Amino acid sequence: MIMEIGIVLDASRLARAPLETVELARLAEERGLDLVVVADAATGTSAGLDPWTAAVWLAGSTRRIAIGAPAGATTAPDPTDPQAQYPSVIAKALDSIDLLAQGRIISDPAGWVVAPRDAKPAELARLAEADLPVVVPVDSREDVERLAALAAEGDHRSGVRRRSAAVRAQRKPGIDYDGVPASLADAAVEPGDPQYRSLSSTYLRGGAPGLVLRPSTPAEVSDAIEFARRHRHLPLGIRSAGHGISGRSTNRGGLVIDVGAMNTISVVDPVRRLVRIGPGATWKQVAEALTPHGWALGSGDYGGVGVGGLATAAGIGLLSRNHGLTIDHLRSVDLVLADGRQVRASREHNPELFWAVRGAGANFGIATSFEFEVDEVGEVGWAQLVLLSTDIEQSLRRFAELASSAPRDTTVFLVTGQPRAGTSTIQLFAVVDNPDPDTVVARLTPFLELGALAGQQVVMTPYSGVMGNAADVGPNGHQGFGEPNSRSAFLPTLTPEFARDAAAMLRSGGVYFFELRAMGGAIADVAPGEASFSHRTPAFQLTAMGQNNQRLNAVWEPLRQHFDGLYLSFETDRSPERLLDAFPAPVLERLRTLKHRYDPDNLFRDNFAIDPRTTKEAQA
Amino acid sequence: MTDYGHDLLFGAFITPAAQQARQVVDLAVTADRAGLDLVSFQDHPYQASYLDTSTLLAFAAARTERVHLNANVTSLPLRPPAVLARAAASLDILSGGRFELGIGAGAFWDGIAAMGGRRLSAAQGVTALREGIEIIREIWDTTAPGEVSYDGQYYSVKGARRGPRPAHDIPIWVGAYKPKMLALTGAVADGWLPSIEYLPRGADSLPELNARIDGAAHDAGRDPAAVRRLMNFMKVQLSSAPRGLLNGPPAAWVDQIVDLALRDGISAFIIGGDDPSITERFGAEIAPAVREVVERERKAGAAARPPRA
Repeated sequence: MIMEIGIVLDASRLARAPLETVELARLAEERGLDLVVVADAATGTSAGLDPWTAAVWLAGSTRRIAIGAPAGATTAPDPTDPQAQYPSVIAKALDSIDLLAQGRIISDPAGWVVAPRDAKPAELARLAEADLPVVVPVDSREDVERLAALAAEGDHRSGVRRRSAAVRAQRKPGIDYDGVPASLADAAVEPGDPQYRSLSSTYLRGGAPGLVLRPSTPAEVSDAIEFARRHRHLPLGIRSAGHGISGRSTNRGGLVIDVGAMNTISVVDPVRRLVRIGPGATWKQVAEALTPHGWALGSGDYGGVGVGGLATAAGIGLLSRNHGLTIDHLRSVDLVLADGRQVRASREHNPELFWAVRGAGANFGIATSFEFEVDEVGEVGWAQLVLLSTDIEQSLRRFAELASSAPRDTTVFLVTGQPRAGTSTIQLFAVVDNPDPDTVVARLTPFLELGALAGQQVVMTPYSGVMGNAADVGPNGHQGFGEPNSRSAFLPTLTPEFARDAAAMLRSGGVYFFELRAMGGAIADVAPGEASFSHRTPAFQLTAMGQNNQRLNAVWEPLRQHFDGLYLSFETDRSPERLLDAFPAPVLERLRTLKHRYDPDNLFRDNFAIDPRTTKEAQA
Repeated sequence: MTDYGHDLLFGAFITPAAQQARQVVDLAVTADRAGLDLVSFQDHPYQASYLDTSTLLAFAAARTERVHLNANVTSLPLRPPAVLARAAASLDILSGGRFELGIGAGAFWDGIAAMGGRRLSAAQGVTALREGIEIIREIWDTTAPGEVSYDGQYYSVKGARRGPRPAHDIPIWVGAYKPKMLALTGAVADGWLPSIEYLPRGADSLPELNARIDGAAHDAGRDPAAVRRLMNFMKVQLSSAPRGLLNGPPAAWVDQIVDLALRDGISAFIIGGDDPSITERFGAEIAPAVREVVERERKAGAAARPPRA
């Protein structure tokens, strides 16, 4: 067995002989011991060193060894007591040392076992059976050397990467950490690991998963799914680039399968413009890779979004009116199913699954590779306009007329928020898929009547210049926190009544982000039955985000009469009736049948989960 | 003249950014190697993007060798004084006498309340700080008999253990701007630690503010020179042309710092900006030049620079 051994330093000894005592910690580290604990065993009238300060000092004085630093109170103190600490400040201190010492701190005194000073090897071994490090009080270099010799003698560590006690102390319950498949063990990240913070949150959501598995091949995805099946009791998030709003690609205490490493982009057939793309690539990367060929594949409106989530939902983007949805370009997809099988879905292979993946893909497996037929797209006009409107209702009505009647080379999205002092700031994001600058200007000019022009940027650029708006995610990862509150809907048409009600919603202040995406054009060329995303005929897709979910619901509800269905990617409501908004009843029935076939235990349930066990009767 | 005759100190005011924890510690190490005297971090526990300052101070102290460290300045309302005193003394012992105590009455009361702290008025905060300083000095005084008992308006304790005793007499530097705080500083503090940007008229405010501290010191029967005058300069820049205070070529920095030292009695110059190259040049180039001039002028007795107009 593996025995981890550490030392206990006494806080009053640290006060009397600080340098020599700190040297004992350094020696313990040099000799390969695992843990140093500071114990506040001071007696008498004069206090020993503050254990927290001493522990932090020891962490700063060493590089590898774990430091045991018991944190203090957890209850609100009496503010007049000069000796009582604030729990909030203690929590911050713990968080800070975790950053500074990179996961080497064990703050829970239950994270180690204290052995008597003169414990014999047999006793140490017995205490180590708790799978916790055993620490022994020491006073001298000789004591440390003796322990180090004992530890070396009993050391039968295999070549398996074993995390330190400090890291293991941060593990979450219910996860078989030691049972992570060997193929995934090296890349897996758990709460005490240095990379953990960069992987715990997503773009708009804070999280603290218990384990992030990072497969880089389909076989490894299969292993990860097998591991997830053994943890059916925990939340499971599937992440490509972490922009999911409906898709919960982080969670608290559960598993995340992150396919970000599977991000290759390659040309399969230059004549047919067939391109193979991994789910972890971002649309910015895809656009950059296709530009040299004079090609583009429409995505959404932000380059930081990952391929996997979007290409299994729909992809309503800035090229859609001219080139259709992203899923309309999908020719085949390789998936790993809930039972671990690797399958291909296309018109020829598993056509039913191919239908299901294009709209409800998150329910059916983890995509490991997509094959798209992309279009020739040259330079486009890319415009970002800021307009100030004192009559948002009228501006919305006029926008609808202009955006829907524009030639299909023109796709315009409108973003606004709460009016300030009666004035709404309208942002327009527009792509004109036409290489002629004069035509671009002509297409955009009518939109200037929506308000007073307060800012404009119009450039001719390949599509990669449009996707290039996304900031790169740095080594610290995403920094989302809390939960986003987002509602989504399709508008068959944008009526004057909708404009009136939407203006009222915006004035209420319950919505800070409001986006209308113009649809129509090539989107509607495809038959509704082609894919499980069946909303081919709406004029607009609407998204509204609010700070407070209850308030958002209150201001959203009056608009519901104007809606027909929703685009799941922007909906955070998990009420069962939303499923029927995303998938009309016949579509949902067909999906449920397929779900029963492909994922009967509902393993994949982080994004508009279709429960295979729910029958039509049970819903009624 | 208001040169109080202290040795000059040069320091860095480093943003304790949690997202850049490693760079923050690296900058402290840079300051240490550049020969600076002080590394300091602001203390705003309610600021989510900052590291905990007490923790950062102890960690950075362990990674440095010569430089002294201080909070700039500790928010007393969230740092109970006995706890603060023990942490300070502990760090002073471990670092071989390299810890100094910057302290303030607290600002941003919404943030303090959000962390569970007690909301006080400005005047209440001054009294609480006075009490806090008394408790801190009591805890440090291990030669006094018995345990610490204190019955104040804002803090009280019966029978707190004394100690540990710091490795050196830790000076208490107070962040102060308003008359009551300046009076407290003159009466009980070992130093005054404001930021030049927050003085009502910048350096032109110094004669008046110094006079308030001097007056309070006199009233308390102390020598005004017992209160060192320190100063933060948050916005500094090395540039080829002189553009303002500590915004220009090194030679202009030297002139300006010498002037502040000899005319206004400032004896510690702590710069922000988080720029490693400015930090290095401040320590290696500017500080020695300032020291040379000030030493020469002090020896020549030429310290009688006229007061500011």
